[in-house]
Amino acid sequence: MSMNRRRFLQACGASAAVSITPTGVKAASAPHVVVIGGGFAGATAAKYLRMWSDRTIDVTLVDPNANHTSCVLSNLVLNRRITLKELKMNYGGLSSFYGVNVVRDRANKIDGAGKRVRLKEGGWLNYDHLVIATGINMINPPSIDYKLTPHAWIAGGQTNRLASQLNKVGPDSTVIMTIPKSPYRCPPGPYERACLIADIIKRKGLEGSARVQVLDANSSIQAEKHTFENAFNNLYGNIVEYITDVEVEDVISTEGRVITRTADYVGDVVNIIPQQRAMGFIRNAGLTGDGLWASVDPLTYASTVSGFDGVHIIGDSQATGQPKSAHMANAQAKVCVDAIIRSLAGVANDDPERVANITTASACYSPITYDQASWLSAVFAYNTDSGQMALTHLGEAERWSTGNYKQMFGWASNLFTDSFH
Amino acid sequence: MKINIFRTLCLGTLVASVAPQAQAEDLTVNRLLASQCAQCHGTNGHSVGDIDGLTDESYKDLYEDLMDMRSEDRPENIMDHQALGYTDDQVRRIALYFGTLSGKADEAPEFEDRRSR
Repeated sequence: MSMNRRRFLQACGASAAVSITPTGVKAASAPHVVVIGGGFAGATAAKYLRMWSDRTIDVTLVDPNANHTSCVLSNLVLNRRITLKELKMNYGGLSSFYGVNVVRDRANKIDGAGKRVRLKEGGWLNYDHLVIATGINMINPPSIDYKLTPHAWIAGGQTNRLASQLNKVGPDSTVIMTIPKSPYRCPPGPYERACLIADIIKRKGLEGSARVQVLDANSSIQAEKHTFENAFNNLYGNIVEYITDVEVEDVISTEGRVITRTADYVGDVVNIIPQQRAMGFIRNAGLTGDGLWASVDPLTYASTVSGFDGVHIIGDSQATGQPKSAHMANAQAKVCVDAIIRSLAGVANDDPERVANITTASACYSPITYDQASWLSAVFAYNTDSGQMALTHLGEAERWSTGNYKQMFGWASNLFTDSFH
Repeated sequence: MKINIFRTLCLGTLVASVAPQAQAEDLTVNRLLASQCAQCHGTNGHSVGDIDGLTDESYKDLYEDLMDMRSEDRPENIMDHQALGYTDDQVRRIALYFGTLSGKADEAPEFEDRRSR
């Protein structure tokens, strides 16, 4: 390590024409990084790999879809503040400006020893490093039919379906929402959604008649506790009924019936946010062990499973315990990219100076009403004792406001652009 | 085969002569730290929305602003809370990165590590 470090620093102080031969690269061409999944994590990784390597690394981004629909802001489709179309991110900038090779295909197998990944249409693709950013997979209640009782937790058709169901809520309607046990995608998201549904009911003049039952598998509110407690108890005290420790066992969608260990709940609109895990692609490769999420080293996001040299997992699929959110996925992608570039340049990733400065930042705005929002701020840093990312500071807005609502769009614009353009 | 990856890794070397401590430190570490600002302030500080960009900020102004945010008696704004997540030295490194990008890294004040007080 010290040799590499010294060589690296010498190179920095010397002529810019000196080249470094990357380690572990056999082909007489530029190193190749394959990114699987074009959400916030994967897109950020592809962009920053090209940008920070001064385009000396070839990057292939594989995603089955022509564009990505952002989950960020997608609760605003439910109360018709925005349309789903506005949340579509295309990969045009990544390919034309950054020179990322965008391939519309689906990865289905990893050969860890051979350092190659198999695509459904395109066959085997060799890599020096593989970045997996495939997001979440739902653990479905056995009898559920999402056409009738959508989760709308991956933005898309189900989001529009839930929006039109909510539009039809009338006097005495009951809307049921279920929240899975942590960890799940977007910790404040379900509580934010409960607030917006309550706001829809309020704005229809149905306060005191229609209601929202929130069934939480957890024992308490999982994010922005002060804000959501205040909203549930005061602002929406006549609309929201928040019930803890309720685990969904099954859903009879045709009856709007939610079967739990303690009781059955029946609603006119039923929004089930199910338990989540990493995608089958990751689990089938053995990257999660017996668990739900992929264990990684937060200094590099490299898998801790042996036999997968150069395989990294970022975003919602990995198991570091940082919140599963687009903002954090973007944050982790940058740490991963930095590690890959250093590794290809033969520079150590466990250098003390780097280790002391591994941080990931999260900021998140949550709409609480039609035109007011709250926010959450969290910064994590690498803890050398535990070898894990640890929270260094957590902050929450004192109150929701129209100013925060406006700022939410400024935040989203830069988050979208930093990740996709 | 050879690649020139390190040339980008050494981004910021040009200002090493004017910026404090830069010669002794790994500037890619500063770049990685500063990249955590981009989700809200835009890639390399180029904001496309209503939130302030960081492309015209001098090292001095950014460093002092962030240190002020860290010492608020009653942190209130989202940036007060973000700044509180970093150490004094990390704040210095972030300010140095954006000051370097804006060509205003030479207005650097003396670094004072407040943790040692």
